[in-house]
Amino acid sequence: MKQIQKYFPLIPVFAAYLFMFLLAENKEGMWQLMSMLLFYCALGQAFNVFMGMTGYVDFGYVAFMGVGTYGMALSITRLVQYEFLGAWVLVIGFGLAMVMSTLLSMAVGAVALRLRGAYFAIATIGVNEGFRFLIEGARIWNGSEGMIFTADLNKVLGRETAAALCTYWADIMVLAIAALAAFVSLVYMRSKIGYALTALREDEDAAKVMGINVTKFKIIAFITSACLAGLLGATAWALKTPYVFPPEVFEIHYTIEAIIIVMLGGAGTLLGPVVGGLVYGISKYYLSIFLPGFQLLIFAPVILVIIVLFPEGIVGMLKAKTKGTGVERFVV
Amino acid sequence: MFFEQLGGNLIQGIVLGAVYGMATMGLSLIFGVLKVVNVGHGAFIMVGAFLTLFLFSSLGINPLIAIPVAFLVGMGLGLIFYYTTIRKLIKAPELATLLATFSIGVLLEELVKLIFGSEFRGYNWVVGKMDLGITVLPMSKLYACIGSVLIAVLLYLWFKKTRAGSAVRSVVEDSEGARVCGINVGWAYALSFSLGIGLTVASGVLLTMFIPVGINPYMGGAYTLKAFVIAVLGGLASPYGAFFGGLVFGLIENGSYTLFAYIPGVEPFALTRFLSFVILLVILLIRPTGILRAK
Amino acid sequence: MALLQLENVTKRFGGLVAVNRVSLEIEEGAFVGIVGPNGSGKTTLFNVINGVFFPEEGKVMFRGRDITRFPPFKRAPLGIGRTFQIPRPFASATVRENIAVGAMFGTQGHQLNVDRSLEVADQIIERVDLTAHRDKPAGTLTPVEKKLMEIARALAMKPRLLLMDEAMAGMHPNDIDQMVAFIKRVASEENIAIVAMVEHIMRAVIGLAEKVIVLHQGSKIVDAPTKEALQDPRVVEVYLGHGPEDEAC
Repeated sequence: MKQIQKYFPLIPVFAAYLFMFLLAENKEGMWQLMSMLLFYCALGQAFNVFMGMTGYVDFGYVAFMGVGTYGMALSITRLVQYEFLGAWVLVIGFGLAMVMSTLLSMAVGAVALRLRGAYFAIATIGVNEGFRFLIEGARIWNGSEGMIFTADLNKVLGRETAAALCTYWADIMVLAIAALAAFVSLVYMRSKIGYALTALREDEDAAKVMGINVTKFKIIAFITSACLAGLLGATAWALKTPYVFPPEVFEIHYTIEAIIIVMLGGAGTLLGPVVGGLVYGISKYYLSIFLPGFQLLIFAPVILVIIVLFPEGIVGMLKAKTKGTGVERFVV
Repeated sequence: MFFEQLGGNLIQGIVLGAVYGMATMGLSLIFGVLKVVNVGHGAFIMVGAFLTLFLFSSLGINPLIAIPVAFLVGMGLGLIFYYTTIRKLIKAPELATLLATFSIGVLLEELVKLIFGSEFRGYNWVVGKMDLGITVLPMSKLYACIGSVLIAVLLYLWFKKTRAGSAVRSVVEDSEGARVCGINVGWAYALSFSLGIGLTVASGVLLTMFIPVGINPYMGGAYTLKAFVIAVLGGLASPYGAFFGGLVFGLIENGSYTLFAYIPGVEPFALTRFLSFVILLVILLIRPTGILRAK
Repeated sequence: MALLQLENVTKRFGGLVAVNRVSLEIEEGAFVGIVGPNGSGKTTLFNVINGVFFPEEGKVMFRGRDITRFPPFKRAPLGIGRTFQIPRPFASATVRENIAVGAMFGTQGHQLNVDRSLEVADQIIERVDLTAHRDKPAGTLTPVEKKLMEIARALAMKPRLLLMDEAMAGMHPNDIDQMVAFIKRVASEENIAIVAMVEHIMRAVIGLAEKVIVLHQGSKIVDAPTKEALQDPRVVEVYLGHGPEDEAC
């Protein structure tokens, strides 16, 4: 395959993101919807790197987003006094978010990734809660009161920029993360990492015998997925709404949504999370108008149906249909 | 004075632990027989809790009567979910059953929220207290404890003495061999799954008898984690191990709460819950198959 | 120096001794049969050579190196490949991708990137005549095709030693003959030592094996050139002295 052709599958993904952006920019009142859709696409892409590619489910995933949020919050609140840093505080915030989520994922992974399937899931089921209760229990970072840093953010950026950040630039950054996550996913898929992950997902023991160090590759996917989650939390939560409150940022709800998005769209595919994010996001948006709070009630049985009847998800089925046609190399 | 308090703590811990243990037996049973991890475990406990609430508050029915009702409801739910979903996923990769049971849990939470709303509720079942000198034990808690032990014993007898129970045991040992012997393995799976769910829903009743407040659609989550810690303590596949694991966990949870209360500057409730998570990780690290192994 | 050397390997599971002080040597390019009924310990022995189990006592040496405690994924790049009795394809990946995985993580792995691994896969696919199925998901193949792919995937690793786990069980005798002849040819061309593990005396495998090792209840009872081994009274006893192993209820 020619070098450039390898990246064709990104075209529909980026096209979709671009379309969403343009629609939001130019149509009255669409911004809120688009920002939510982009969030879900980003969430899906990030979660897919681990669950989709390895076939392992991390029930505590939201913890990485929460930790990333704290990273950004800490950077803003602790560095606000250093005026010369200016907007670099945000850059440091992202860096801190990545570092913290990497550290947490390494800590959790050290225990959990040695375990097979079900035991891994059990190990992760309390991670988000566990970390939340650590923060609350030991009163770290203000404990259960959380942190509000609107004032600090205003000081760092100036009122106008801060306002623009919360309403516009934070969402642009979410788009950037969604694009980054898609890019990383494809790079992995086309490299030995992707092959190793597919192998270990399909048959872990056979993969080992073939020379694949399954733990190493699980760790790679796990940390990557965690990092992306951290970045997402840092922008979609800390920057959009400048406060962090433990029960909110460690809510299992988001892991549920991530699972729905990935399974609906097609686990392990590139386009899957985009499709899943769009379908879920749009459904939730319109449901919230007519039947607020109903989206999980409707999607839980939907996911059950998908698991039993269509485990490959929408894009998975699309891939099968487009096999052997020219469109094949865009539907990955 | 200290020893009195310690003794009181121990008693409370054991009483609590028995209920916790019973609440986990269903989880271990289902994993032991079907090798399925019911990630939606807590949601079924919640169903039992709401059932008790409903029966008591709306129909004035004593929670003790709610126990067998809950058990039957649970078995019904178990059969439904087994035949519609679980059965088709036994051969699928592990991810499938994990996500399926998880989604079932979410579905139950949302349904209950739809019917009952998401406020916190409770009920008041006053049946007196027992003063043991070193500690005071509400009778409802005592009943819950006795109920748990009773159910555990009944389960034991069922496994040992009945044909159905022996059939299930042989399926656990060797499903192919059991099939060759003419045991309907599919039916054994269905029975075990619904029995496990029945036990879990019934345990929801006992838990509310123990703590009749804080009942809400999302209460299950906390219990799912506790149940996993207990199950892993006792050996994920063994219902009896789960019971004893529950006792140990009850002691630890109670003890740590008291201890944390002595440390200034921390919140004991939150820290206790963090501790249970740490215990889970430690056990999984050392010996995932369980520290106490009883069959 | 022998390619593979086992010295007094003992493997226990709790109180059960599955493999009891087994020593053996496999030379480069040799074709050896390991024979033994169910429960003789040969699967465990395979797993010890493979790295799935570590023995309690004894050593496993490969090309002079002590690999006793190497996990399976470290043994593959050294040159130990394995096929399974019931093929284990990576079902959702294509045949081509499956075989490429073998190349990517095998002995030449560090020299082969993804594209070149796929080229290697294509070459092997032609050789085993699976070209028609190249881009099909491996899970959709027939059992015989899966076995062929299993072998092809192992060959893509460019192993020095290939452990074949009853790869012919349940196949038509003609297919077996063909496959065995093919394996023998490839093995001699590529200088691969083959250790074939079989439950019963299979004429096809034994016919080509230079040496036969017979296991009985965890111990090695015979280790000799094929002709001798087949005439050994102990071998006859192992196979005719026992009834069917399985007890039902």
